[in-house]
Amino acid sequence: MLWVDKYRPKTLDNVLVHQDVAQNLKKLVTEQDCPHLLFYGPSGSGKKTLIMAVIRQMFGPSAEKVKVENKTWKVEAGSRTIDIELTTLSSTNHVELNPSDAGFQDRYIVQEIIKEMAKNRPIDTKGKKGYKVLVLNEVDKLSREAQHSLRRTMEKYSAYCRLILCCNSSSKVTEAIRSRCLNVRINAPTEEQIVNVLEFIGKKEGLKIPSGFTARIAEKSNRSLRRAILSFETCRVQQYPFTSNQSIPPMDWEEYISEIASDIMKEQSPKRLYQVRLKLYELLVNCIPPEIVLKRLLYELLKKLDIELKHEVCHWAAYYEHRMRLGQKAIFHIEGTVSGEKNRALVKLRQKAWL
Amino acid sequence: MDMDIPLPEELEFLEANYNAHEDYLDLEPPEPYPDEDLQVEEEAGQSKSPSSEGPPSSPGVLTNIQKRSRSTDGPDASILEDAGQSDEKRSRTVQAEVAQADEDWLRYSPPEESDPMVEEGAGAVVEEKLVWRYASEIDGDFIPVTAPSGGDRAYVKINVVDKEERRKKLGVIVQSGGLILEPINVLLQKVEQEAFTKALKASSGGQSDTILPETPAVHEQLWVDKYAPSTFTELLSDEQTNREVLLWLKQWDSCVFGSEVKSTPADVLSALRRHSSTVQHRKFSDSKFPSKNRGSRWNKEDFSHSSDVDDKDTSKGIQDLWNKKSRSTGPPEQKILLLCGPPGLGKTTLAHVAAKHCGYRVVEVNASDDRSSSVIEAKILDVVQMNSVTVDSRPKCLVIDEIDGALGDGKGAVEVILKMVSADRKSDLGKENVSKEENRQRTSTKKGRKIAPLLRPVICICNDLYAPALRPLRQIAKVHIFVQPTVSRVVSRLKHICNKEQMKTSSIALTGLAEYTECDIRSCLNTLQFLNKKKETLNVLEIGSQVVGRKDMSRSAFDIWKEIFQKRNIKRERRSNCRTQSTPSEFEFLHSLISNRGDYDLIVDGIHENILQLHYHDPLMQKTVKCLSSLGVSDLLHQHIMRTQQMPLLVYQPAIAIIVHRLVAQVQKPNIEWPKSYYRFRTMLMEKTETLRSWYYKIPPHISRHLSTKSFVEESISPLLHILSPSTLRPVAVNLLSDKEKNDLFQLISTMVSYSLTYRNIKTNSQPGDPRHEATLDASVLAFDPPINDFINFKGYKSCHYVLALAMKQVLVHEVEKQRILRVNTGRSGNLTDACNKENQVHLGEDTSGSQAAKAGNACAIAKNTEKPTSLSILRQSKPTKPTISSDLGSNTNAATASLNSKSSRNMKRSNGSSSFFDRFRKMNTKGSQNANNVVQEEETLARDLRPLLFKFNELGACEDKPAFDVVMVFYIMVHLKTIYSFEIIM
Repeated sequence: MLWVDKYRPKTLDNVLVHQDVAQNLKKLVTEQDCPHLLFYGPSGSGKKTLIMAVIRQMFGPSAEKVKVENKTWKVEAGSRTIDIELTTLSSTNHVELNPSDAGFQDRYIVQEIIKEMAKNRPIDTKGKKGYKVLVLNEVDKLSREAQHSLRRTMEKYSAYCRLILCCNSSSKVTEAIRSRCLNVRINAPTEEQIVNVLEFIGKKEGLKIPSGFTARIAEKSNRSLRRAILSFETCRVQQYPFTSNQSIPPMDWEEYISEIASDIMKEQSPKRLYQVRLKLYELLVNCIPPEIVLKRLLYELLKKLDIELKHEVCHWAAYYEHRMRLGQKAIFHIEGTVSGEKNRALVKLRQKAWL
Repeated sequence: MDMDIPLPEELEFLEANYNAHEDYLDLEPPEPYPDEDLQVEEEAGQSKSPSSEGPPSSPGVLTNIQKRSRSTDGPDASILEDAGQSDEKRSRTVQAEVAQADEDWLRYSPPEESDPMVEEGAGAVVEEKLVWRYASEIDGDFIPVTAPSGGDRAYVKINVVDKEERRKKLGVIVQSGGLILEPINVLLQKVEQEAFTKALKASSGGQSDTILPETPAVHEQLWVDKYAPSTFTELLSDEQTNREVLLWLKQWDSCVFGSEVKSTPADVLSALRRHSSTVQHRKFSDSKFPSKNRGSRWNKEDFSHSSDVDDKDTSKGIQDLWNKKSRSTGPPEQKILLLCGPPGLGKTTLAHVAAKHCGYRVVEVNASDDRSSSVIEAKILDVVQMNSVTVDSRPKCLVIDEIDGALGDGKGAVEVILKMVSADRKSDLGKENVSKEENRQRTSTKKGRKIAPLLRPVICICNDLYAPALRPLRQIAKVHIFVQPTVSRVVSRLKHICNKEQMKTSSIALTGLAEYTECDIRSCLNTLQFLNKKKETLNVLEIGSQVVGRKDMSRSAFDIWKEIFQKRNIKRERRSNCRTQSTPSEFEFLHSLISNRGDYDLIVDGIHENILQLHYHDPLMQKTVKCLSSLGVSDLLHQHIMRTQQMPLLVYQPAIAIIVHRLVAQVQKPNIEWPKSYYRFRTMLMEKTETLRSWYYKIPPHISRHLSTKSFVEESISPLLHILSPSTLRPVAVNLLSDKEKNDLFQLISTMVSYSLTYRNIKTNSQPGDPRHEATLDASVLAFDPPINDFINFKGYKSCHYVLALAMKQVLVHEVEKQRILRVNTGRSGNLTDACNKENQVHLGEDTSGSQAAKAGNACAIAKNTEKPTSLSILRQSKPTKPTISSDLGSNTNAATASLNSKSSRNMKRSNGSSSFFDRFRKMNTKGSQNANNVVQEEETLARDLRPLLFKFNELGACEDKPAFDVVMVFYIMVHLKTIYSFEIIM
């Protein structure tokens, strides 16, 4: 088992990174009046871990026994029936699902399936905790219609059903839903926190860590805890007695983007742009979100650009990213950025030549 | 004929065949311009008019008759008349023909139109002579005749006719009794009747007078039909295409005529030959015709002499002759001809004319017919198999017009055709080795009744080659794309027609018109006719307003991209400038073009795909930036429109394409590709996401819930791969490793198990550039089972991942399986309450194991090494109910199966006594055991045999013999059952 999973805190008490949040949540849950929750924060910050810990806090260890169900639902939509395949993880008291898997049909999942699940009140002999929990992942990817249909469900069945929503960015969740939830922001862990966690793991594993090594990993991890732990383990696997200047293996896609960036800087012409386009497609094909690509590309370019240009490039990158989020075909906008930056780099070069 | 047909024999046949089948007379030697041809005909017509025009009181009637006879019978009668009359003075024998010709049009004229004629003809009938109103019109002997009722006087020409010859020619039995054919009393009766009807008419004369001026307007033909080319040489479409179509049709001859036409006996053939040649010779020597007309004369003579049957025989004979010569050629490779091009260029006309030319009868199916697949199938079968019993026994040629028209219907047609072609292909392939021609004959006769392969040419016509329904057809058909005929050709034809219709035009105006309609002949002619009706002349400056409407047609996406990327010719530009304000400017042109097409998403995609391949001058990348940014705008707009459903905003989409046009359009021809990359990206992304997702389902939920498809590649994949292939691990046997290394190995294995990863044997598509793979480049390579390493295989990127040695991988595979089985079992024994969950999983797994089994079956043939792990992984699915004691057995079972051949699959007969698990296993087993039953004979074994068996398992651990997979599985489960049983006994 990877360290990421091995040392994942199971209970709210064991949480290392967001201790304050965890304590608040604990109080909230133990008082038995838990509102709907909306967890949001960047990936690798520990949202899911916290959610699972909360659920465990609610229902005890039985919440960990889950089964995977892959079920096809028949949904009546107007005159026709639609088959929707949906995979859920469910224990006796909670159900996890990812409604955005259904793509543009997510509306039906929310309208029919979630409602169906929310309706059924769990029967508990003790009469205690007479509610169930629905965990919805990637709510920000839900279409607007789906989100609209969600809010009625949230109100109507709130007596015995709690929704825990999880997403990266709350800005894509509608105002209406946000106001019905208790918003919990999970920050990306700071580098110190990451270092702490790594030290903790090292101690548990009985490793000798040279000073500053964990800090270097934390620095390279982009403040993603998962990434930090994974690279830590990678280092461990590659060379155990750590040396303080041991190389930390880079992410492949980041390397690739830096190649692209140097391509861009080398020559600015439509031909080159075409090659860059092919490479960008490669990245996008491999499930790397376009926002990340754009961001990373900007970062790489900034390293190579003159100081005067940086501001401008940032501006345009932001401009195109905004358009990308509004639009549909990310490649158009990424290319817009790329070409724009090429152009600016060229202009700059020309100016220098004049001077 | 100066068509580009390779074989002289073919040419000869073409000529002969054509003459025989068609009643046309236009077999003049080659003429460069069809117009000239027409004019010759016209001149002939004009020259005859003073000398031999019909009664002046009814010239309209005469011309009408001529027209009619032309349209009904083909031009033979009238042309014969022309020819005959123009040469009238030269020889007296021709007179007979004149008489005959006149008789012809008399015969064809409908009764009400020939009313005055008949009246006069009362006398004419008497001697079958020609009647004129004025004596001066007749040169030679004549007698005056007075009509009995009206007292009108007419003059009848006397011809000296050789009776014998005439009888032969006309096939009319002349009564030898007297001068008149009918008894006088009959004639008198007729005359009385005529008088009566005339009186009737006169009483209602006022009425008919008012109707009369309207009728010609109704009956007037469209010029398009009137001047439609009826012969091959008249075709206006591109010469090259015409010839190729003809050539394709000719390739069918051996198949069509060869299999169908009975060979004519040689003596008949020669007799016919002799006959025709003598006739021709006589004609030629008698009358000094210009050599140009010789062929036609000959044909006419021949035709008039020989009876219907004779005629057919001649043609058949010649066909047969030709067939003998060209035996070796079969039907063309592509059995379908697909003509495509914008409307009005003459596709349908070409198909019809060419088919007729080659001696086919055209059967047309167009959009107005029912084109559902059943109907069309019947129709095609009709065409292919049936032979008409009526007079017209020419083979048929199917023309499917507007095949792209209606999607649903057209599809039916396409499907049927495809089916037939593929049936044909199969039969071809099946008997390749037999002599080809015979083979074809046999299949065509035999199979014709069953699946009906295509035995007749099928011509499909469409406007849009890239219509989705046509996609399959496009691959098998011979495609001809029509290009616009040159403006000069169109103009000369238009001019000719205008002259004929006595419409005043200038060639400049006609050129303008042709350009305006983009050489759409149909719309040109319609416009001209319309203007003619309005008594207007075509005005160069006002074409835009005069022409009824611009064609509102949508072009294919390729055309649009071409227009966007290509500047219009400067020459054309200038010419369009001289058309001044009425012509749409470049902007409007593009705008209407794009908005007519409408599919903005596709157009923008195409621009995006191709724009960077263009050669435009852009040193500062400013143009590129602008273009791409406007594409971005277009995308935003599109998204916004789709989200808010504000369709009116779509009008702004074409403008974006026009921006691009202004920026990058070049004069040179762009090389445009269909935008595939975006769709490829989409599908590949889907594929990879699906891979990830299905992998997640396999990982135990407490791990998988923390993974997301979005961030997996971003954060996890690279470290994970590093962790999974540690460079420190030595590829040696497990027992040789140090404690620390063992520990590492264990760690690695546990990771792989928890992430449900394993290695699997795959065929390498050899990556020769990669040195790391070189060691393992023999037949197959072990790769990660969910192919997670694909996610970092960017094109043109070398990752620095260490790849484990093959031996190490094998060890890992082995250990992982072992571990996996162990873990599942411990998990089970740990919490029994979970049993029902697991049971679910098992049942779920059953399906997958089925498919895996199939895979494994294939795999075991390729590589025996990996068969064990694969099979084990499937076995694992059925494992959970097994007590821990059997887990050790698990790894050995495979080997043990060899020894187990003699053992029966006892689970079938075992009583239900032991536990409920058995029930479940039996269910799962039935399928497998049924397979196994063939292999393994059922044999009763006693429970006491079981313990020795266990020992055997351990002993045979090293044995490498592998039986077929399903046997393994069955045995495994069987053994498993036994073990439980024995276990319980021991307990």
